[in-house]
Amino acid sequence: MKTICLILGLIIFLWVPGAEAKDFRFPEIKGWKQSGEIQTFIPKTLFEYINGAADLYLMYDFQELKVAEYLNEKKASVIVDVYRHKTPTHAFGIYSQERLSDANFINIGAQGYVEKNVLNFLTGSYYVKLNSFNTGAEDEEILLNFAKKVSENLGEKGRLPSILSSFPEEGKKKNSEKFIAKNFLGYSFLHSAFTADYGLSGTKFKLFVIEGAGKDECKDMIQKYLQQTKSLEKNIAEGRYTISDPYHGEIELYWRGGYIWGILNLNDPSLRSKYLKLFEEGLRKRK
Amino acid sequence: MRMGGEREERMDKKLIGRRDFMKSTLAGFGGLFFLPQIDLKQEIRVVDAKGKEKKFVYRTLGKTGIKLPAINMGVMLTDNPNLVQVALDSGVVMLDTAQVYQRGQNEGMIGEVLKGRPRDSYVIATKARLPNNQTTGLYTDEATEEAFLKKVDDSLKNLGLDYVDIYYHHNVWKRESALYEPILKALEKIKKAGKARFVGITTHMNEPEVIQAAIDSKLYDVVLTSYNFQQKHYAEVRDAIARAAQAGIGIVGMKAIRGGSGQTPIVKNTAAALKWVLQDPSMHTIITGFTTFEHINIDLAVMENPTLTDDEKRDLQKEVSVSGLYCQGCRQCLEQCPEHLPIPDLMRAYMYTYGYHNLTHAQDLVLSLNLPDRVCEDCTQCPVKCSVGFNVSGKIRDVVRIREVPQEFIA
Repeated sequence: MKTICLILGLIIFLWVPGAEAKDFRFPEIKGWKQSGEIQTFIPKTLFEYINGAADLYLMYDFQELKVAEYLNEKKASVIVDVYRHKTPTHAFGIYSQERLSDANFINIGAQGYVEKNVLNFLTGSYYVKLNSFNTGAEDEEILLNFAKKVSENLGEKGRLPSILSSFPEEGKKKNSEKFIAKNFLGYSFLHSAFTADYGLSGTKFKLFVIEGAGKDECKDMIQKYLQQTKSLEKNIAEGRYTISDPYHGEIELYWRGGYIWGILNLNDPSLRSKYLKLFEEGLRKRK
Repeated sequence: MRMGGEREERMDKKLIGRRDFMKSTLAGFGGLFFLPQIDLKQEIRVVDAKGKEKKFVYRTLGKTGIKLPAINMGVMLTDNPNLVQVALDSGVVMLDTAQVYQRGQNEGMIGEVLKGRPRDSYVIATKARLPNNQTTGLYTDEATEEAFLKKVDDSLKNLGLDYVDIYYHHNVWKRESALYEPILKALEKIKKAGKARFVGITTHMNEPEVIQAAIDSKLYDVVLTSYNFQQKHYAEVRDAIARAAQAGIGIVGMKAIRGGSGQTPIVKNTAAALKWVLQDPSMHTIITGFTTFEHINIDLAVMENPTLTDDEKRDLQKEVSVSGLYCQGCRQCLEQCPEHLPIPDLMRAYMYTYGYHNLTHAQDLVLSLNLPDRVCEDCTQCPVKCSVGFNVSGKIRDVVRIREVPQEFIA
């Protein structure tokens, strides 16, 4: 009986709807035919497709790329690149590295944008890039149609990382949020971080948040940062820190629980306090 | 296992011929891996690096005449402007980017960093590519001269500059693409218009073919190529680089610490890996994609002294051996084996089998060693401690089985 339950449980587990569609199929598109074989690239071979740009994708835990080319009778072509990353956050990370904050955003997947001959979108753990050739005046329509069909086959579209909602809205440059996968601020001990660009009365600054595995990891990061910047403190406790970073100037940051959040390039002390507080409220609401 | 009579005599002759071949192959490999120390006639420049006086090794980028420190920065992997600032303030001169990196935002970030810096204090290299067939590497009809010319204007706008120092034809792996007429014409126009001081070509695959095409074109001033100690064909790349340098082409190396196609993502001893590339006198500079301040410090140390130490050589040899194929021929094992087995030869046979997939050579070699019938079977524990960590007895047991395979199955 136990064995049967185990087997059934395993089957159910493997069949969970919304599970990653690792073996997704490229869709059939009316008026278009797939040309040639579908190409597959893995971390070791990604260089063969996107050469040196592969390094950045690998930093975002790239897992697999599938490429299909479609042709129509008018000799137009659309190439569909489907990059699968380890997690939706990593897919967002590489997507955020390449999106422009003033792009023409569209409602495909979790988010996407379209421009001449290019449509890129994010859905779940996938970063999808479409490139069109010889599509003429119908280019955008064609790309949108392709994107919709591909997106349907890629399972749950997911959403942008929920932590982004914690960033204060006031002064934030829309769609400037990024996920930095490694070596935040140029320090290996700071792991990863989410950032967003801000502007107020001509002053540009940046907010960031580091999500640690827990309180201990955050404490460790703070300790190492203080050691690195020779700002030694006897008792590392949750709260506010002002760090004189030799490379980044004065950084204001706050640690509570599993989060460290902070501000770069903002000299005004009252504004710093305001934004640190707003961020804390944003993180509380997120819970 | 011994064969009789005439066949044996023929085999001996064959073996002698193959033995000579094997010896020359091994010598060739060992000889090329570390070059003899030669006087590279390098310039040493005293540089003010963040208030400290540093002496950096400088080399000249071929006929361009541009003098560069041994290491410069590939900016592709970072969007951190402070990292780039620190690199420049610390003595890095050349920044390498491309229009495709973060869709122009990488150039834009660099443009912000460069504001206010004297134009002659830095060297900027950027790149552009046009649509091509990803399977054949050949250009499609969309790859026009006009399309390429537009890209340089986009890059100059992103960078906020009137000109770049080097403008590369990006990511080429076919001779036909390197010599693609519309792009060659575009590059000539770009140079004539003063939008780039020099033009170059970059390659990560089929490097020798592309480098030779660059030489033959008589147009390219600079070649940016993958080059590292893990490349299986590093000898061919080395030869191609030498020919290009001889022709006056400036040589910039990349992927020195980050493997290219099919390679290990990153090496363990980065300083050693960089120095291995710089030991080549044809290599004028390397760009590295650092993402931490710690990386910058490693690179700065190499810029001061690019000479490989013995420890670094050993580290590199170990890394190459990590794949488990290349015996370093140190012969320390010979004294350790109580049966006095010819271990280096057996390791070579193992390499032929699993590295080169040349079973004929492997079998010839194993047969020529006149091994006893029982090999490694009487030792309960192997006393041999290999200097690069090979499981010697495991490899020996594996490769001697080839004695039992009929020749007609192998040839």
